Amino acid sequence: MPGPIDYSKLRILPDFDTVEWWAATRQRKYLVRQCKACGHKWFPPTFPACAKCASMEVAWFETAGKGTIYSYVVVVQPIVGAFIGTVPYVVAIIELDDCKEADGRVTRVAGVMIDEESEVAIGLPCEVVYEETNDPKIVMPRWKINGTASGVWRFTE
Amino acid sequence: MGALTDKYCIVGVGETPHMRPSNRTTLSMACEAVSKALADAGLKPGDVDGMTSYQAGDSTTSPHVATALGMRLNYAVDILGGGSSGEALVANAIGLIEAGYCETMVIFRSMNGRSGRRMGGQTPGGPVPVANAEGDAQFNIGWGWTTPAQRFGMSAMRYLHDTGCTTKAFAEIAVAHRYHATLNPKAIHRSPITIEDHQKSRWIVKPFRLLDCCQETDVSVAIIVTSRERAYDLRHPPVFIMGGYARTLTDSPQWNYSRESLHYVAGNYGWKRSFGMAGISHKDVDFVSCYDAFTFTTLIQLEANGFCGRGEACPGWAEGKHSYDRQAGCRQLRKADICYGMGWGWENMASCLVLRGMAA
Repeated sequence: MPGPIDYSKLRILPDFDTVEWWAATRQRKYLVRQCKACGHKWFPPTFPACAKCASMEVAWFETAGKGTIYSYVVVVQPIVGAFIGTVPYVVAIIELDDCKEADGRVTRVAGVMIDEESEVAIGLPCEVVYEETNDPKIVMPRWKINGTASGVWRFTE
Repeated sequence: MGALTDKYCIVGVGETPHMRPSNRTTLSMACEAVSKALADAGLKPGDVDGMTSYQAGDSTTSPHVATALGMRLNYAVDILGGGSSGEALVANAIGLIEAGYCETMVIFRSMNGRSGRRMGGQTPGGPVPVANAEGDAQFNIGWGWTTPAQRFGMSAMRYLHDTGCTTKAFAEIAVAHRYHATLNPKAIHRSPITIEDHQKSRWIVKPFRLLDCCQETDVSVAIIVTSRERAYDLRHPPVFIMGGYARTLTDSPQWNYSRESLHYVAGNYGWKRSFGMAGISHKDVDFVSCYDAFTFTTLIQLEANGFCGRGEACPGWAEGKHSYDRQAGCRQLRKADICYGMGWGWENMASCLVLRGMAA
């Protein structure tokens, strides 16, 4: 298991576009942005317009927080103070199961895996879990492998 | 030939030494680089009437440098941007001179990239004690994913998955780059390395090892752009600009993880336009200078710019398929960041010196 993240060394500062997203994580809900006009979904929510149709009529879509690992890295040298005791840890990009669109687009999100490096592989299913921080206003989503799959790919060097 | 092909050129290049640390201000370094570029071109400060630079809130500005050197400019602007800004400013200079806003323009980058503001949120001494995550950083600092190595690593991992390549290809690039650095007295790292040295070097962020990464450097680089007519009586053969593209990418991977392919770069979208402007094809090219922030970025840019197909840039480095050796005929690659010193891609502009040598 990666070591604990020292959230006392992180200060998350929500803004007008993201305050509702962080509020939702406090209720253990994982949101992505959704366009009211065309239905396109995206992440992160820092972008206030739909990149598919340019509408600014945007809403939230509550995902089930389940997906498949698309790529990952294993951070060995820590850069941010909060993660000095966490290394090595895996950051993954995850394709969300319930955000596949008719034209083939899939919404991807990123996050820190709970699992250790040897357990992570591209193609494995995972789900969001929530971690409380020292700041009561901030609950941090993390990701956890929740099953097996065939044809997975793992970096073994 | 395009309408502007060979109409504008680079006539001077100036660089400070590569320092770690510089113990100097970015203004001091910029003044040195600009003065050296002027001297290289055979120009005096009063001969230049335009100045531009790019930065990330980490550097001095054109008005400061012009004031320090006593230059009265007709056009000065500084932009925010990263490693793809050098070519954007060359294109801006062409447009400004063509439109009559100025006649001769100096472009610089000055940064304490090692001793001052480091990329990814580190202090000069190491990890930042307490990180504020606002704006874009809300969705990357929180998951400990901030540096270019960590971001490009995500692309590289997917690339290895998609193509079946291994990090042996990265090793071959590192070895080739280092070999050529041994020939360059200005390079920071000049001792030859082997494939084994690369494979045994410590992990930074898998799939990147230490020897995949470029050198954080304190440096300033300046070049001078002017018209063909103005260039004739200057000191060196001009290096002509045939075409280009800049910041072609719409979906930056640091903001949009959902883009078509994580390892697409600007070249995937821009190369056809650039070659069209120049009126040439790949077989006409015998020198390539890639931004090598990481070994992997050299590799993907050869593919992105159409020199080979997807996954094809991987094998062949050890066999000299992609060589610096002009005797070998085809393509030359100038190594810059990984062994030479890193100025956010601006070292590639200094490749003009190589082109000038080839023309002479």
